[in-house]
Amino acid sequence: MTTPTISERAGPGLSGRLPMSNATTAFIAAGALAIGLYFLLPPDGQSVFYVVIGASSVAAIFVGSARNLPRAERLPWQLFGLGLAGQVAGDAIFAVYEVSLDREPPSPSVADVFYLAGYPLLAIGVLLILRRLGGQTSRTAILDTAIIFSGVALVQWVFFIDPYNHIRFGTEGARLVAMGYPAMDVLLLVALAQLLVGPGGRAVAYRLLLASVALWVVADEIYGLNFDSYQGGDWIDALWLGSYVVWAAAALEPSMAHIAEADRRRLPRLTTARLTLLAAASFTAPLTLLIERAAHHRAHAFVIALGGAALAALVLLRLAGLVHAVERAGLAERVARREAEQAQQLLAYQNQQLLEIDRQKDEFVSSISHELRTPLTSIAGYVELLLEEEQDTGKRGHLAIVERNADRLLALVSDLLFAARLQYGRLELERSPVDLQTLVRQAMDSARPRAQAASVVLGVETVDVPKIQGEPAKLAQLLDNLISNAIKFTPRDGRVDVRLAARDTMIRIEVSDTGIGIPDEERERLFERFFRAQAALERQIQGTGLGLYISKAIVEAHGGRIGVDGAPGEGTTFVVELPVA
Amino acid sequence: MSAEGRLVLCADDDEDILSLVSLRLRRAGFDVATATDGEEAVQIARSRRPALAVLDVMMPRRTGYQVLEELRGDESLRDIKVILLSARVQESDVARGLDAGADAYLAKPFKAQELVAKIEELLGSGASPEPAGN
Repeated sequence: MTTPTISERAGPGLSGRLPMSNATTAFIAAGALAIGLYFLLPPDGQSVFYVVIGASSVAAIFVGSARNLPRAERLPWQLFGLGLAGQVAGDAIFAVYEVSLDREPPSPSVADVFYLAGYPLLAIGVLLILRRLGGQTSRTAILDTAIIFSGVALVQWVFFIDPYNHIRFGTEGARLVAMGYPAMDVLLLVALAQLLVGPGGRAVAYRLLLASVALWVVADEIYGLNFDSYQGGDWIDALWLGSYVVWAAAALEPSMAHIAEADRRRLPRLTTARLTLLAAASFTAPLTLLIERAAHHRAHAFVIALGGAALAALVLLRLAGLVHAVERAGLAERVARREAEQAQQLLAYQNQQLLEIDRQKDEFVSSISHELRTPLTSIAGYVELLLEEEQDTGKRGHLAIVERNADRLLALVSDLLFAARLQYGRLELERSPVDLQTLVRQAMDSARPRAQAASVVLGVETVDVPKIQGEPAKLAQLLDNLISNAIKFTPRDGRVDVRLAARDTMIRIEVSDTGIGIPDEERERLFERFFRAQAALERQIQGTGLGLYISKAIVEAHGGRIGVDGAPGEGTTFVVELPVA
Repeated sequence: MSAEGRLVLCADDDEDILSLVSLRLRRAGFDVATATDGEEAVQIARSRRPALAVLDVMMPRRTGYQVLEELRGDESLRDIKVILLSARVQESDVARGLDAGADAYLAKPFKAQELVAKIEELLGSGASPEPAGN
């Protein structure tokens, strides 16, 4: 017993790959055996056994629908059950006559009422399943059904119904009843055609249902062509019995629960199969005429003309529907295209706006830079002048303070503008060959006064390293940032060491201090814009929170990376790696 | 090369800075002519033919760039050395100045020593027939 997985159950497209369940296979095998056995029985036994097979199948249909379907979805299968029950009832009446009276029932008889009443139930059951499958608007579904109906009815009338008008019957009632069967077969043929081109079709149960309807219709049509020679126990019985068995197997097959789920791939289209079927239906009128001519029959001119006209009208209506659908699709496409064009224009406009805003921001940064630096130029310039002229040591000290603060303000302005421009993602380097050893020594020299003021020992360890392609001013700024930071965060009598080394294609710069260290939770955020360490805030160490952000940007613009090592309380080491190439 | 007798034109709309630059250059031994806007700077350049001009970029009436273009476009003024001295320090500003033919671009705030050294360097090389701009 296979256990279908959830995905296999998800749709008929997949469930169609399911093998027939073992139970269904066993049922069909048992049915085939029973049908074989039927042909070995004496006539009376055959009549009874025929009823037994039919009744078992009807029971199986009710059991299967109750087992496989929720109550609300059982109606089509209950109609199948009832329709076939009508057939079995007719068979039973025949059996009673043959076994107890040893003759066939009169024609027409009550049996015919049961037989004929069963057909519409079967056809309605199929149409209900097809309707649940959907896939077409009701208008086209009705038109397609009407076209198929017209074609089938025409053929059925000309070849299967009308011939009874030319045969002698005991009574007119008998003739009418005889004509009733091929008439009812029209319903089943329409149902069969719809099943063939329906949007479902892959579930095993669907195929079984199709096969059972086909067996029944074929048996009826063969009977219709040979009804003179038919006798109970004829091979045609195998078809009817087979239909009973397969119909019941369809109901027992678990996949019948998904029979009304459409195969999405086949859903909305006018499929080739459907088109072929509609074309075949449309050509029935001329074909019928040709066949009648070839067989030298008297042509059914009136019926063929009527059928042809009806088909032509229906096909025209169907075409009109298609044309409308195409027009609607065209209109929808034009609307969609116009909307897409408008969206594109809007996007282009917004893009332009953004570029303009970007340009304005750039201009703004440039202007602010100018406005802040201009007064600083006067302050710094005149203080420089005064410092050169002033002899008084006290006043010189005061002027030095002004100068230092002007320098700090300038550095702050530069950092802020640098960061603002980084926000727009434009750090462009003016590269030239840079000797990092020289840059490191220069940075150490300019940091020395600050280190002395803070009583911090500066150590440096450099080796000859290959030159790199970079912007000297930016790299000097990077070194200055890292060394200044290290000095700021190192208590008195601590050390700051700078090491320069080459490793493969990378040059490694380490700046380590014996300072307070960086807690783990701050390490992640260290290089964020405006981030300030808790220790810096607590000890009122000056800074903007931009130095490391800018440093990282400079390192990355040079294709390198920057990181931090060390545990809290054990000092900190910033490591920069820059590629040589 | 002595700075004696060499005329330097200083143009800046900020009078404080203009005084500062003039004072520094006079102390370094240059003759100094001053202008407070770009138009005036061009007039003085025509009338007094300075050896070098220190131009602010953001000036009314004509910007430093425009004055520079005027000088470079005039056969008789083409040899005047030009230093742009600006608080606009973005790479694009510097590049624009140098592209327009400035001999140097110095950022404000500037160190006096740096400015004087640059002027002396430019005028020193200008006295010999070496090509301008090194």
